[in-house]
Amino acid sequence: MTTPTKNIRNFSIIAHIDHGKSTLADQFLLKTGAITQREFRAQVLDDMDLERERGITIQMHPVTIYYEFQGQRYELNLIDTPGHVDFSYEVSRSLAACEGAILLVDAFQGVQAQTVANFYLALEHDLTIVPVLNKIDMPIARTDDVLAEMQQALNVEPAEALRASGKAGIGIDEVLQAIVARIPPPPGKPDDPLRALVFNSHFDSYKGVVVYARVMDGTMRKVQKIRLMSGGTELEVIDMGQFRPTMTACNELGAGQVGYFMAQIKNIDDVRIGDTVTDALAPAAAPLEGYKEPQPMVFSGLYPVNNRDFEALREALAKLRLNDSSFTYMPENSEGLGFGFRCGFLGLLHREIIQQRLERDSELELVQTAPNTTYEILTRKGEIIVIDSPQKVPDAGQVEEFREPFVKISFLLPSENIGDLMQMCAERRGIFIRTEYLSPKRAILVYEMPLSEIIFDLYDKLKSVTHGYGTMDYEILGYRPADLVRLDILVAGKRVDALSIIVHRADADRRGRKLVKKLRGEIDRHLFEIAIQAAIGSRIIARETIAPIKKNVTAKCYGGDITRKRKLWAKQAAGKKRMKQVGQVEIPQEAFLAVLESDEG
Amino acid sequence: MPPWLHPRAAYVHVPFCAHHCGYCDFAVTAGQDQLMTLYVEALGQELATLSEPCPVDTVFIGGGTPTYLTPPLLERLLAEIRRWLPLHASGEWSIEATPESLDAGKVALLADHGVTRVSIGAQSFHPQLLQRLERIHNPDDVPRAVECVRERIAQVSLDLIFGVPGQSVDDWDRDLRRALRLQPEHVATYGLTYEKGTPLWKRWQGGQVQPLGEDDELAMYCRAMDVLSAAGFEHYEVSNFARPGRRCRHNQVYWANHAYFGFGVGAARYVQGRREMNTRDTHGYIRRVFAGEKPLLQAEELPPEERARETLALQLRRADGVRRGEFQEQTGFDLDALAGAKLRQHAELGLIEDNGACVRLTRSGKCVADALMAELL
Repeated sequence: MTTPTKNIRNFSIIAHIDHGKSTLADQFLLKTGAITQREFRAQVLDDMDLERERGITIQMHPVTIYYEFQGQRYELNLIDTPGHVDFSYEVSRSLAACEGAILLVDAFQGVQAQTVANFYLALEHDLTIVPVLNKIDMPIARTDDVLAEMQQALNVEPAEALRASGKAGIGIDEVLQAIVARIPPPPGKPDDPLRALVFNSHFDSYKGVVVYARVMDGTMRKVQKIRLMSGGTELEVIDMGQFRPTMTACNELGAGQVGYFMAQIKNIDDVRIGDTVTDALAPAAAPLEGYKEPQPMVFSGLYPVNNRDFEALREALAKLRLNDSSFTYMPENSEGLGFGFRCGFLGLLHREIIQQRLERDSELELVQTAPNTTYEILTRKGEIIVIDSPQKVPDAGQVEEFREPFVKISFLLPSENIGDLMQMCAERRGIFIRTEYLSPKRAILVYEMPLSEIIFDLYDKLKSVTHGYGTMDYEILGYRPADLVRLDILVAGKRVDALSIIVHRADADRRGRKLVKKLRGEIDRHLFEIAIQAAIGSRIIARETIAPIKKNVTAKCYGGDITRKRKLWAKQAAGKKRMKQVGQVEIPQEAFLAVLESDEG
Repeated sequence: MPPWLHPRAAYVHVPFCAHHCGYCDFAVTAGQDQLMTLYVEALGQELATLSEPCPVDTVFIGGGTPTYLTPPLLERLLAEIRRWLPLHASGEWSIEATPESLDAGKVALLADHGVTRVSIGAQSFHPQLLQRLERIHNPDDVPRAVECVRERIAQVSLDLIFGVPGQSVDDWDRDLRRALRLQPEHVATYGLTYEKGTPLWKRWQGGQVQPLGEDDELAMYCRAMDVLSAAGFEHYEVSNFARPGRRCRHNQVYWANHAYFGFGVGAARYVQGRREMNTRDTHGYIRRVFAGEKPLLQAEELPPEERARETLALQLRRADGVRRGEFQEQTGFDLDALAGAKLRQHAELGLIEDNGACVRLTRSGKCVADALMAELL
């Protein structure tokens, strides 16, 4: 049974990470009877263990709840959004399926970088915003200060903001009422030809691809012949329903409604997020305004320690991609590491999550290389090539212009740390744009900066400089020319291609010296001397030496206890398990990440 | 029956000690002398499981401190061993002893039963270092003990430990020369190791003990090689030195990866390709032997290739090295097919030498023997 459009409200909750979004969502479910107190557990919407562990939401999972207000029954569709900077594209995706958004702000932490970023994203989508101050029951809540910050930074009138506590269940009804009262019903036309926006999908090993869609106009029905407008593929709706919060089948979804459908789609790559679904027999004239899929900007190499695990790794990656189309992988071959994959991620957190999933779901021993951003190179011949790995940089002679991605990055931080942060940004080739004070104590600092300078450790540095109170968000501006070079590392005279990095020429000497020093500490001594060198082209710019083992003999044989002796040797040998052999040298996994480590020391 | 399957050697363990030294990780029982009688009885029963006497070429009684036993118990032990493990006429019978536990009476007992060799745990001649090792003898006990042994028994071996915290290369040099003045037939030099779980290991973990640096340890090891070779000793195994013809035949069984019997608490045996080790708990050992059970702690039988690699690693410790023909016969594996690439690499680094018939460690190879073995396994 479809709900009349005027009784539907579609909304998201936008918040900085940890501001209590998932807990508030769970309260909605509890309050409206979608789940019982017994089922109530923290963060029902976060499906994946990892998300639960890290308290962040990556995969969007819409949920439909019913709320009685002034004698009427309303269908509220909550479309969840991820809270981390890596996933702002996905936030954008969710917002396109909504008419309103709850702007959730922690009453102690106040306005943070992602609060601002997501707020503007919501404004861009023309959403009605319902500001909610969360965690007001905390003794350390600074409600008035935070309201003032919201007014200063976001132009939110203090009187408009609701006060709630997701944890204690305070103010939940008021928020639900505001959703009904303030957010407009969907503008869709029930009698027009079907147009539904595909905003996500997931792969289910029994059901195949489950597509999440928001019906804009018309009605989608079971057994209906539908057409995906971007490619013209025609399919039949086999099953459909809504998340209430578990998958609940229904026979149709009317204009304004949000739900899922299955149509015998085998591969998530066959469904383009942002596509428009229409009726194959009575198609709409024009598709909805879609949006671009996010392009991975951070790449790193992933190699099995044992070359024979290559196929197993490919399978594991394919399985991960089933539910995450923003993650990409391509086979690559490294002289040092053998066969592996070049993997693309939205950002560093995304990369970390993928790696943890791989290690959790498969028993593979992996070596990963330090991450890099993509680069654009204008060759002498006038071609533009995009590089996702330092190994692919052509010879200096062929490069007319080297370009790297720049971002606009906003920091929200205590004003007392501005000096430290500005210095940090200057060291990272940052270009100052502006400062804005939210209050005498807190400010927004905006810079333009190469993406490569932020993917390593900027977030950790920000947290340490601001004692955990600073937050950041960034958006990609595009490629800009820069004086970049490839820095190579030679171990025992052999170039280890997986250790190459792209650096700014002015930084090359310093980075080279630090890197070889770091590597000296990471690679164990061998039975022979090992030289570690940093080079630009054929010019060596730094060198360290690892002295050979001089003495390693423990003599006693325990009354013929050879087993013990052998175990001792085996233990020495086992230390090499997670290592990659490059020439005669065993290089541990950590060494490939040495370039990542903080620049201190 | 080939010697790598059928034992012609036997090890017997006696765990009792007057004091458990902090570095020692052998099966040792201190402060429970009331168990001695029961233990010797149990040992006799374990020997009796042989069913019939098994003639051997070598016997080694280790500890603990076998000579810590009272004379009547020592006599009983020796008699049981003679009964079940009759020694070949030209056989070697070794026993370990601490300097302070030896006297004329015990030496006579040993000699009368046919012991041919006494290995004395001298460890050091520096009072302070002895203290640090928790040894309870004085430096002067060593010459007295050697003299005592010489009265009746031909061969004396001295154990020395280097790499003791606080020890200098000069200290070590003096220990070596002092030992040589006693004219032993055999010297074993052991680098001090920090075995997990020992009191010494705990003190190291707790930061109360600082191990010597690698450079000092290396210098000491090299000094031992120099001083002992100059005195006419052959460096026949990484930590063992002997005058010509005076190598310890029993220990060479281990390094050849040949078979041997083992009796007593914590004793290891290698019979028909199967390695076994008895429990390290003296109470448990006695109880289980009396109950008619095997007092085993663990047993393992390696697959042929692993056994061959183990043989390679062990034999490489010998000055005689690994002889290709013998290796093939003993293990069924061709040495070069098994480890040719690694051996060539080590030869290039000057760690081993290979004359075609035989592969052996060079001097610098001996210094890194364990790292090298780890690569071969």
